[in-house]
Amino acid sequence: MVSSCYITFPTTFFAIRAESVLKNQPYSFKMVPVPRSISSSCGTALRCSCDDISALKNILLQNDLELEGFYRLEESGLKTPVATTLDLDH
Amino acid sequence: MNKKLNLYFDNAATSWPKPEAVYGAAERQMREACGNPGRSGHTRTLEADRLIYRTREAIGRLFNIPDPARVVFAYNATDALNIVIKGFLEKGDHVLYTAMDHNSVLRPLGRLRRDQLITTTIIPCSFQGFPDLEYLESAYQPNTRLLVINHASNVTGTIAPLKEMIDSAHKRGVKVLVDTAQTAGVLPIDVQNDHIDFLAFTGHKGLLGPTGTGGLYVSPGNDLKPLREGGTGSQSELDIHPESMPERLEAGTMNSAGLAGLLEGINFIFDVGIKEIQESELKLRKYLYAKLQSMKSLTLYGPSDSNQAVAVISFSIENTDCGEIGYILESSYGILCRTGLHCAPLAHQAMGTFPEGTVRLSPGFFTREEDIDHLVHAINEIIRFTTG
Repeated sequence: MVSSCYITFPTTFFAIRAESVLKNQPYSFKMVPVPRSISSSCGTALRCSCDDISALKNILLQNDLELEGFYRLEESGLKTPVATTLDLDH
Repeated sequence: MNKKLNLYFDNAATSWPKPEAVYGAAERQMREACGNPGRSGHTRTLEADRLIYRTREAIGRLFNIPDPARVVFAYNATDALNIVIKGFLEKGDHVLYTAMDHNSVLRPLGRLRRDQLITTTIIPCSFQGFPDLEYLESAYQPNTRLLVINHASNVTGTIAPLKEMIDSAHKRGVKVLVDTAQTAGVLPIDVQNDHIDFLAFTGHKGLLGPTGTGGLYVSPGNDLKPLREGGTGSQSELDIHPESMPERLEAGTMNSAGLAGLLEGINFIFDVGIKEIQESELKLRKYLYAKLQSMKSLTLYGPSDSNQAVAVISFSIENTDCGEIGYILESSYGILCRTGLHCAPLAHQAMGTFPEGTVRLSPGFFTREEDIDHLVHAINEIIRFTTG
């Protein structure tokens, strides 16, 4: 089973700003349509490795970005993946 | 097609020509990257989002705005001025503005005044278009909340004493709205150093972009009530428009083709350098002013010292209708300019040219000295003809 993590944003502006802020950072990530199992205000989310999500969150917050939520998705073939909300403060 | 139609002296209305990249970028955006920004999640949408973000950053760099979230796009400067005037002012407020202001300021303020929501005071201006700073000092009232500053006049080119006026307002806790329709892309503007609260700009004049582009800067801590609400592609389940900037003040599909062109216009300004553009326009104004100054029967308006003006010159010819001069310039010489009141009736009252108006000549970055020589030759012939 493969899992990937997602950061969601309140508006498109912050999604694109996140991409711009992170483009010169040594992490790989991708801007993707928000998966259906995640509820988000903005249609574009950032997908990254679950090993990196805390580091990415910290960089974004240091750059005054407004973030909405953090999720882990367990993918299993073509079945709808299960999303778990992450509490990154703990 | 009139082959003579090639001398353009109406850059204060809209700049022409645009840098070549501006045309190409607008077309490319429509042909190849046309997704609705902020809406779907596909790559074209993302490309449109990125383009708009880059344009915000470019505006930020041009005006030294540190946070691109404070850059809001609008149709033009008029739209941006309306967003500030109608989104900031509240019932009982008093507003100061100057006689050089454009109808884009006079009319929205006039409506609020007629609706008995606000009161206003006009700061008179000299014959050359400079606001009376002593009068300004005495014009504040306890409920004054906003001073509107016309950074440079679209009739005379007169540059307002921005720093003195902003200092004067801020000493009393009054916010300033700067209308940069004639100065963005031509004069250096720094919202942090100049302590500007609200700045309105247009994209199709000095910024060399397409019409239908423009916007505003809103300084932190000054949140405006939105003038329009609607689709943003975010928080779609709520019937509440997003509160966070810049979406707070933007609704509906953005003009991404226009903004693609605008970005290239701004990039052109960065490539050439704003100082170089300023010097080039100053040189053209000096050259034109000196030639016109030597003509008999011709009255010039605006500052005689070109350092105090952008490249806009107004004139009239004794006993000659300015509309007629404009018509002859175009029909006989292929020279395009603007005649009349230029949407700034109070400026003409200050200069004593109301209601007749003036002939306005506004060279731009791409104007050549030889174009001015042709223009001057044409005006000389018109004077000879009309004054016998």
